[in-house]
Amino acid sequence: MDAITGLMNGFSVALQPQNLMWAFVGTFLGTAIGVLPGIGPALTIALLLPVTVYIEPTAAFIMFAGIFYGAMYGGSTTSILLNTPGESGAMMTALEGNKMARQGRGAAALCTAAIGSFVAGTIGTLGITFLAPPIAELAFIFKPQDYFALMLLAFLSVSVVMGTSKVRGFIALFIGLSMGVVGIDKQTGLQRLTFGIPDLMDGVEMTVVLVSLFAIGETLYVASRFGLQKPNLNPLAGGIWMTKEDWKRSWKPWLRGAGFGFPIGALPAGGAEIPTFLSYTVERKLTKHPEEFGHGAIEGVAGPEAANNAAAAGVLVPLLTLGLPTSATAAILLAAFQNYGLQPGPLLFINSADLVWGLIASLYVGNLMLLILNLPLAGLWVRLLFIPRPYLYAGILIFSLVGIWGVANSWVDLAMMFGVGLLGYTMRVYDFPIAPVLIGLILGPMAEVQMRRALAVGQGDPMVFVSTPLSAVLVAISVLIIVVPAMLHWRRTRKIAMPDETAGV
Amino acid sequence: MTERPYWLAAGTVGWGAIVFWKAAELPQFDQYAHVGPGFMPSAVGFGLVLLGLMLALQIYRGVPFEEQGAEDVNEDHKVNYMALGLATLACALPMLTMKPLGFVVTCTGCFVLIAAAFKSRRWHLDIVLGLGFSLLCWWLFRKLGVQLGGLLPMMGV
Repeated sequence: MDAITGLMNGFSVALQPQNLMWAFVGTFLGTAIGVLPGIGPALTIALLLPVTVYIEPTAAFIMFAGIFYGAMYGGSTTSILLNTPGESGAMMTALEGNKMARQGRGAAALCTAAIGSFVAGTIGTLGITFLAPPIAELAFIFKPQDYFALMLLAFLSVSVVMGTSKVRGFIALFIGLSMGVVGIDKQTGLQRLTFGIPDLMDGVEMTVVLVSLFAIGETLYVASRFGLQKPNLNPLAGGIWMTKEDWKRSWKPWLRGAGFGFPIGALPAGGAEIPTFLSYTVERKLTKHPEEFGHGAIEGVAGPEAANNAAAAGVLVPLLTLGLPTSATAAILLAAFQNYGLQPGPLLFINSADLVWGLIASLYVGNLMLLILNLPLAGLWVRLLFIPRPYLYAGILIFSLVGIWGVANSWVDLAMMFGVGLLGYTMRVYDFPIAPVLIGLILGPMAEVQMRRALAVGQGDPMVFVSTPLSAVLVAISVLIIVVPAMLHWRRTRKIAMPDETAGV
Repeated sequence: MTERPYWLAAGTVGWGAIVFWKAAELPQFDQYAHVGPGFMPSAVGFGLVLLGLMLALQIYRGVPFEEQGAEDVNEDHKVNYMALGLATLACALPMLTMKPLGFVVTCTGCFVLIAAAFKSRRWHLDIVLGLGFSLLCWWLFRKLGVQLGGLLPMMGV
């Protein structure tokens, strides 16, 4: 099926009243959690997983997609009006957006952010529409060693890119990998690391780990260091909508932002931080009003916000076509697919065309809904921040318990919630990145299967891992990711260490 | 925060050693796939031990640890151990009470403890709100088909 027919089909699915309703629920929930602290899209989807057993998969994924996109919109609203970026991709928006709001230009900032998000989200979705099918086709000729090399690259880049320290990134990844090997080995039927506990035979539940790391870890962390800055609403009054000048200064950053966001988001190590940062830097260089940067330049809101949303769309490309998650939210979406017995990848486009195209079409619909939900109602959404914190975090814990206890009514899961929750707390205190744990947990077992397959095909010869052009290139890139920064670091420290050896240590 | 948290490295090495030790009991290689069920866990365990040692070296050299930023966190990251204790207790409570006392009672307890950790001092209101919210969740998610157990398992309800 080519992209156009596929998309038309998809719209016929997405525009069914019932699916429109789910898209609305998703975008609504997404915006709300984007505004609220302590709860993000990955966590929300994880908490909703037990419920979705009773919803048909297409509806569930349409809702998840709405949550995924909606959280981005909500995040930008709070960063502009309150200088509290709800998620990491909105950090750059807060920089200029909040300054604009303080000058009484909040409405214009919100407007450029929302329209920019809409434009970039739509461009990103167009990207998915036309790129995903050929990539999925390409994936058919992937051999196990290609998949293994791709996953290796994802592991390395996630651990190196996220967080401040490579060692801590890798420790997070390996903790995830170690949880991933728990359970019965599917090839031999032997128990691995189950410590004789029957509940662990099926492996460690992704939902439990994700909820504990995010919700429990965050609750413990915030409770111990609680200090509420009273939400200080910047007046929207006086800030008329975007002027003609604003439009003129916004549209190019939107397009450039989308141009950065989508491809980088689609890469194995993408994420939203790099493209938003890039976009901000570039806009600062190109602007005709450099004096405004740092004091509320509209380009500094339009560009990063567009990049942020385009990156979110980009993340869906490797997820849908190769089954490769590159962010925490993508990892939980993959887990959701697996819950339904679906395996994202080339076959998904053939076996579940309705679902995939319905999902892609609903991204267009969701984007439009978000624009309508967010532009006039931004002031209302911000009121959510006035929920008293004791009840907000207590509520998050109860939802977490629904998610964890509802999976299997297992005491072991509750114990794991406590243990992994403490781990999440420690990781926050000592600045370990969290996403590599989840990537390791979900991608580790998949990488192992591909590795064993490749070795079986290659009759045990380790050279099989570089036997195809693609796998050789990917392995080479992986090696470079590790070696080049290490060498640069070594050279730099040597240069610095030589002159002041006496002063050191 | 301690300046040199060697226990982080020790924990990493310790967990790695456990993984490695348990994996060593499994066959590392087999004829068919050439890599047995024990290979991957062994590699992961070994990697963790190695990374733990690297972390220890970094700590020895005085690598800085900066706490992650989050919303609602006070600016100087001052730790309130009383609040941390209460929140930890709330997270541990389900292990003790979920089986005998059921979802609703457990969640009410958690709600009150977390609210207390966030310096809420209106006990009666917290209990009422917690009970109401827990009941609502229990009823709603049961309707949606999530198994959350009985209302009061001890009394057989």
